[in-house]
Amino acid sequence: MAFDISVKQGSDEAIIKLTGELDAAVAPKLKETIEKVAEAKPKRLVFDVHELGFMASAGLRVLIFAKQKMGAGVTLYVIGSQGPVLNTLTMSGFHHSVILQDAYKPIE
Amino acid sequence: MPAVLESLVEIRHFVKEAANRARIEDSRAYQLQLAVDEIATNVILYGYKDAGEGAVISISSEANGDVLVIILKDQSPPFDPRAMQMPEAQNLARPLEERKIGGLGIFLAIQGVDRFEYRHEDGSNLNIFEVRSGHD
Repeated sequence: MAFDISVKQGSDEAIIKLTGELDAAVAPKLKETIEKVAEAKPKRLVFDVHELGFMASAGLRVLIFAKQKMGAGVTLYVIGSQGPVLNTLTMSGFHHSVILQDAYKPIE
Repeated sequence: MPAVLESLVEIRHFVKEAANRARIEDSRAYQLQLAVDEIATNVILYGYKDAGEGAVISISSEANGDVLVIILKDQSPPFDPRAMQMPEAQNLARPLEERKIGGLGIFLAIQGVDRFEYRHEDGSNLNIFEVRSGHD
């Protein structure tokens, strides 16, 4: 399934919904989106991955990029990860740094 | 197929079909797709970094009983992914802002299959992935 990104930007948060398959070919598109979103300096960056069917390490690198670009002050949420995508996140230790939730609920 | 990132979709599709035919359990089939995708990405981005147009990567499968073998073949300079230093548990637990970017793909590839092997033969890199069906 083709990769697609949609963004909902509020005053404190940006919700980035990802659908399809996130591999190295399309990861630059997500990186560009994050660069744009970062200009508004949101406090929370929320990735909705309910409909993400595949995520390669290129996707993980974009999450690292987001955190490094936006600084420790921004909180990263990954919403709706399940099965293999969740497995990739935990195998890579991202559950230590990213808030994993089934449905988005800001915790600050 | 051409060694470009746009071929990754086709590579994953090939693996998925082979895994279906070999009746590989779904989560194992996904891990295998991820493993092959990661190594292919590496070959395309780094192995063939200085190669011009015309660089190719090929993929084949073999099913032996309940074991599925996928072989990725390319003619980029010899590179054994097993020689890459794997991220340590300590680094994987680090906050993202302090992390080094890199090494994760090969880590996920090697961890995701039952057996990973590399050979260099007749000028080609052979990356060999093996999974068992996972059914009893």
